[in-house]
Amino acid sequence: MTTTMSPAVSYSAPPPPKRDWRKIGRLAFLYLCSAIVLFWSLAPIYWVVVSSISTRTELYARPYKVWFPSQPTLDHYVELFTSGAQFRDGGYSPTAGLMGSGLRNSLLTSTISAALITVLSSGAGFIFARIKFRGKGFVFYFVMLLMPLPIWVSLISLFFLFSQIGLIDTIQGQVLLFVTFLMPLSVWLMSTFVRDIPSEIEDAALVDGANQWQILFRIIMPLARPGMVAVFLVSFVSTWNNFLIPLIFTRTSNAQPLTVVLTLFIGQYEVSWESMASAAVLTMLPPFLMALFFQRYLVRGLSMGSVK
Amino acid sequence: MTMARDLVSSKKFFVIVLLVPIILLVAILVYYPAIDTFGTSLTNENLRIRRPPEFIGLENYTNLLGSNEFWQVLGRSLLLVAVILPLETGVAFAIALLLNEKFPGRGIIRTLVIIPWMVPPVVNGFLWGWLLNGEYGALNGLLYQFGLIGEYQYWLRDPTAQVFWVAVVHTWTRFSFPMIILLAGLQGIPDDLYDAAKVDGAGTFSRLRRITVPMLLPSLAVALVIEFIAAFQIFDVIWTLTAGGSAGGAINPFTKTLMIYNYELIFRDLRIGLGAALSYLILLMSLGVGIVFITRLYNEGIKSR
Repeated sequence: MTTTMSPAVSYSAPPPPKRDWRKIGRLAFLYLCSAIVLFWSLAPIYWVVVSSISTRTELYARPYKVWFPSQPTLDHYVELFTSGAQFRDGGYSPTAGLMGSGLRNSLLTSTISAALITVLSSGAGFIFARIKFRGKGFVFYFVMLLMPLPIWVSLISLFFLFSQIGLIDTIQGQVLLFVTFLMPLSVWLMSTFVRDIPSEIEDAALVDGANQWQILFRIIMPLARPGMVAVFLVSFVSTWNNFLIPLIFTRTSNAQPLTVVLTLFIGQYEVSWESMASAAVLTMLPPFLMALFFQRYLVRGLSMGSVK
Repeated sequence: MTMARDLVSSKKFFVIVLLVPIILLVAILVYYPAIDTFGTSLTNENLRIRRPPEFIGLENYTNLLGSNEFWQVLGRSLLLVAVILPLETGVAFAIALLLNEKFPGRGIIRTLVIIPWMVPPVVNGFLWGWLLNGEYGALNGLLYQFGLIGEYQYWLRDPTAQVFWVAVVHTWTRFSFPMIILLAGLQGIPDDLYDAAKVDGAGTFSRLRRITVPMLLPSLAVALVIEFIAAFQIFDVIWTLTAGGSAGGAINPFTKTLMIYNYELIFRDLRIGLGAALSYLILLMSLGVGIVFITRLYNEGIKSR
């Protein structure tokens, strides 16, 4: 299947170069490939950022597009929070107040969920990695089994359950869902991190009469901090990016996060592309920054979690 | 006093306090509703019709399996998977090969390449909808500028094209994940294998086919299964790229996949019983196919070694 793709580069480093041009040729080829790869992954993002700061005239220019805005403007961003997205026929989209509340809801839901998950999974990860008790295997599988399970099966009935107890359209309701659905991944991650910590320090502390709480808070948590950071980031980004859960479980500005607010920009007859572009930039900014600065943590967390 | 302190510091208490909340959350928010949904799937609950739901056994399942729409939607989901998996694996493999080479700046490129994966899939749908826009899209602008098209095209007009672009956007969103897995796999292949092959006179392509691909199969299998499930249950990208259905409008039938169909049955048509049955069919298919897939690829990987 994969062999239909021609190999992009040769495998191992070429034999010691007899002439310099061979080395240069190899580098040139690698940089050419890199340029193509970067164009593929970043050009769409570049264009949405440019769209969000272009004036209308330049944005809707055709057939030649304006690739670099000559008069960059932040008007579309201001418009999002003040008047709402302006349609070209002069009307306004009903999203004026929703951006601010969406930002607030996204931040609250993601931060609270990620914090709760980090705390809960640190304890559980420590237990699964270190402590023997009866029924451990059962509890582990009970929690882990939902990782490959499509959550949709539970969501249907949860929707009616939440409607009855008033948890629809609340931040609390969403936090409950995210904490639960992200739990197996986080517990798994934390337990692998704790397993990598040498146990001599704990043994010494146990001999000195420390109890499990002291070991967890004074020894494990400080040592497993990179793991906790990874769990926090992964949970934050997964919650922030999620769409299906808030689509089903929110109705109004009380709880609608940015991902859902964004879909309201597509009116039935018209789309305000410049507002949508700026709203899209705002929505992708936090995960974007996290990817840039905490890539190592995120990648380790996300790939380890998905592999198991 | 001491008894209380002993209790608090006991191992049992520690385990119970930390694990019980998690067990309860999972039991109440996952298992209980999943069982409840199964119960619903055996009834004819429909919120449009004012009557108490009745038990109808497996009728919802047989109705679905006997309906044309179900098979159409399933066929479309499988078609998408069949387009996405090779596309995504190809892109991921090519980029992993590139980033496995040592050259200055590789680290920065690795960081930047992963960014699409972090962007919310909903945003990706929008982003590409705007890129592909028939009147003002950047793709039109770019191709026109280079003289590759004479006039602007409506890229998303044709139903087949819609499915194709959904596959492309999904690939763009997710290729980083298999790429990372394959890169880790590549870095785990010992150099002596290649050196030995070189001594035996194997060329670049033959080394790729005889060493790299077989050695990568186990990690590829894992990535493929996860990507299979992600593609099979695709929702967000379609919702914002081609589904339409905004402001209560009808959902575009040409990119209606299993998940979109399931959403429509439950939250638009309010046919809860039928939708619940469909969700169980999706569950069974994801699990079943995932298991078959991974066992097979694993076997091949072990055999060829």
